[in-house]
Amino acid sequence: MRALITVMLCAFASIGHADRIFVSNERGNTVTVIDGTSWEVLTEFNAGQRPRGIIVSPDGTKLYVCASDDNIVRVFDTTTLEELHTLPSGPDPELFVLDPSGRRLYVANEDDNLVTVVDTQTHEVLAEVPVGVEPEGMAVSPDGRFVVNTSETTNMAHFIDTQTNVIRYNALVDQRPRYADYSPDGTRLYVTAEIGGTVSVFDIAEDGSPTPAGKITFDVPGVQQEWLQPVGGLVTGDGKWLFVALGPSNRVAAVNTQTLKVEKYILVGERVWQLAFTSDEEYLLTTNGNTNDITVIDVDKQEALRSIQVGQQPWGVAVAYGLN
Amino acid sequence: MKTALKLDHVSFDYGQKAALKDVSFSVADGTFCALLGPNGAGKSTLFSLLSRLRIPAKGQIDISGRSLLQDPMHGLAGMGIVFQQPTLDLDTTVRQNLIYFAGLHGLRGVDAHHSITRALTRMRMSERADEKVRLLNGGHRRRMEIARALVHNPRILLLDEPTVGLDAQSRKDITDHVHDLVAEGLAVLWATHLVDEIGDHDQVVLLHEGRIIADGPAQTLRGEDRLLDWYLHRTHAENVMP
Amino acid sequence: MNHYLTAFQVIGMRELRRFFTQRGRFLSALVRPLVWLLIFATGFRAALGVSIIAPYQTYITYETYILPGLCAMILLFNGMQSSLSLVYDREVGPMRLLLTAPLPRWWLLFSKLTASVLVGCLQVYAFLAVAVLFGVKLSLAGYVLILPALIGVGLMLGALGLLLSSVIRQLENFATVMNFVIFPVFFLSSALYPLWRMRESSELLFYVCSWNPFTYAVELVRFSAYATSAPVQMAIVAGSGVVFFLLANHLYDPARR
Repeated sequence: MRALITVMLCAFASIGHADRIFVSNERGNTVTVIDGTSWEVLTEFNAGQRPRGIIVSPDGTKLYVCASDDNIVRVFDTTTLEELHTLPSGPDPELFVLDPSGRRLYVANEDDNLVTVVDTQTHEVLAEVPVGVEPEGMAVSPDGRFVVNTSETTNMAHFIDTQTNVIRYNALVDQRPRYADYSPDGTRLYVTAEIGGTVSVFDIAEDGSPTPAGKITFDVPGVQQEWLQPVGGLVTGDGKWLFVALGPSNRVAAVNTQTLKVEKYILVGERVWQLAFTSDEEYLLTTNGNTNDITVIDVDKQEALRSIQVGQQPWGVAVAYGLN
Repeated sequence: MKTALKLDHVSFDYGQKAALKDVSFSVADGTFCALLGPNGAGKSTLFSLLSRLRIPAKGQIDISGRSLLQDPMHGLAGMGIVFQQPTLDLDTTVRQNLIYFAGLHGLRGVDAHHSITRALTRMRMSERADEKVRLLNGGHRRRMEIARALVHNPRILLLDEPTVGLDAQSRKDITDHVHDLVAEGLAVLWATHLVDEIGDHDQVVLLHEGRIIADGPAQTLRGEDRLLDWYLHRTHAENVMP
Repeated sequence: MNHYLTAFQVIGMRELRRFFTQRGRFLSALVRPLVWLLIFATGFRAALGVSIIAPYQTYITYETYILPGLCAMILLFNGMQSSLSLVYDREVGPMRLLLTAPLPRWWLLFSKLTASVLVGCLQVYAFLAVAVLFGVKLSLAGYVLILPALIGVGLMLGALGLLLSSVIRQLENFATVMNFVIFPVFFLSSALYPLWRMRESSELLFYVCSWNPFTYAVELVRFSAYATSAPVQMAIVAGSGVVFFLLANHLYDPARR
């Protein structure tokens, strides 16, 4: 059966140039594979215990999945969906980033207050960087010089110098930071704070140092303020728009990065968590943990187009561009 | 002269209450026939039957020799009707009101235009064609409705108490106008309870409590009496004042 | 045949002219659904979206959900109003003039019905235009595809009004009709809540709603607005429309009176 699916997927791979979308299902212990043109679920495969963080390598060939309860990162071939190998991650890996070269993986270990640096080719742990309490959000600067980690309990963003693997800067953010994202030109950093209900915005200097540049707040008429919990965030390639997943308010906010004001709230499924763009940023994908689906948003129109059922409790989403 | 309208043993009832009992009479071309009777005599019921709003329980109605019941389209096409209550679209012009009605009778475009102009001329309303109906006085509104009833050039004109609510001058004008139409060959059935609208040569059909109690030329019927005295006497309705 | 079309045309023109001259009627037709959309739906916003049901492909806000139902409501009010004015006008006034036209009564009734549906559609589009100003909108295709559905639904509801006007002789005024026809027909349908939501609260309610032809009218408008075919809804709307009209036409036969 597995072989058959592989053949089918390869057949798909040879005819089209659409995206292949991978969704990690935290409770289902699977990854759902979706065709980015027909929006059909192609298959769903086992990805270890409690898969959460999910990334496709820059060359599109490998899929990295944090199997949180296996205390390991599993690596799959994006075409055949075979498990290639595993990577050490330290205990309870939740979120991670790859540096732009695809060579180094930075994993947040929530229980041990560490960021583990792993070499994706030698499969070795290169360093363990002590950070604040309950590290979670991870971002890498576009030039690869800094990795940002946010710690949920310390309410800080830690800027780790990737040359030395030592924290160079710290910046205070609001309560329970969840996620961080650099603007594509590296001059801005956005950090979401789930309990604080804000996104902290930093201007990033030439030397990588952050200066607070404002805060984004959220307000949806008729929705209680405590439901507006920013979690996942994503900046468009031109840096003009920031999309923020607002957890239990079932909405994604489209933020104008010039004014730092929300221009639109887009209704999606329940407990919206992480975000990813498809090719050319045509669509924005959201994982909706409680309704077990992902929502496809038209980025230009900022309108939700459709929602697709995936596995149980989808957590993260990653896209292999032009693979299908 | 040919018979334009003929009722033959027509009866109608509203459930228990009989409204018309065995009504028979006819109106010839070029005749002004006054359907005379006090309020509640059955005049409006008779108009409902003639305009085919209701169907008689018994009897026959012939329009130009054809049964209204069996061939209602022919009957309706040959009749012009002026209802007691005004049926006007007040916020449109006289001409627009007539265009609507002409359309209902299948007239459009140039044909409709000519028919409307002719009908308005017959009622001396041409100069008011483009005025809003709301701005017309009661007499002119009535004349417009009569003109409307003439648009499709009917052979018979039915008017149900057309002078109700008009001042004396308008009443006389309209009564005279319609008498002029009769001179052109039209058959007219004019329901009224006002005897001064009836000329000596007009036919009078006296309706009382749903029955016809007299039918003939006014002059013959009244004899030496005034028509009003004759009317009051025949209907025992001393309280009805002209 | 020409005569039929000429009559149809002047009846339509007359309705349109009345529509544009009677501003009060137009405004009330516009304000009623807007009140629902803006006040009622805003109050329900806290309900975080309506779960996915056909024809929607993703989560929608409550305003989006009730938009088709409100379009159908406009047609319901319009159909009832124009058909009932027909009853009151029957003895006197314009209706009597209309019925003395030398054409079959069914054609006159049908023309009148269609003309009032046209006016109803204009009201719906005016409402949709205002709704856009408040951020509730459809796709361009939706605005086009909705038209045949609106006409079909309008004819069906107009025929229902015609039927009611000929059967229920005791109906004295519009308020009575509001209480005993419009409100039950509107509330016991999928206009305000999806049927599954009804079922959650009461099985009986659910069955009443799923036997209500207005539910299918609402759903036909809804599916058309999202370019989704709805053969069952279409068949039910067309079927009940024809039945209502034939019954009404039969009951309007002057021979019955």
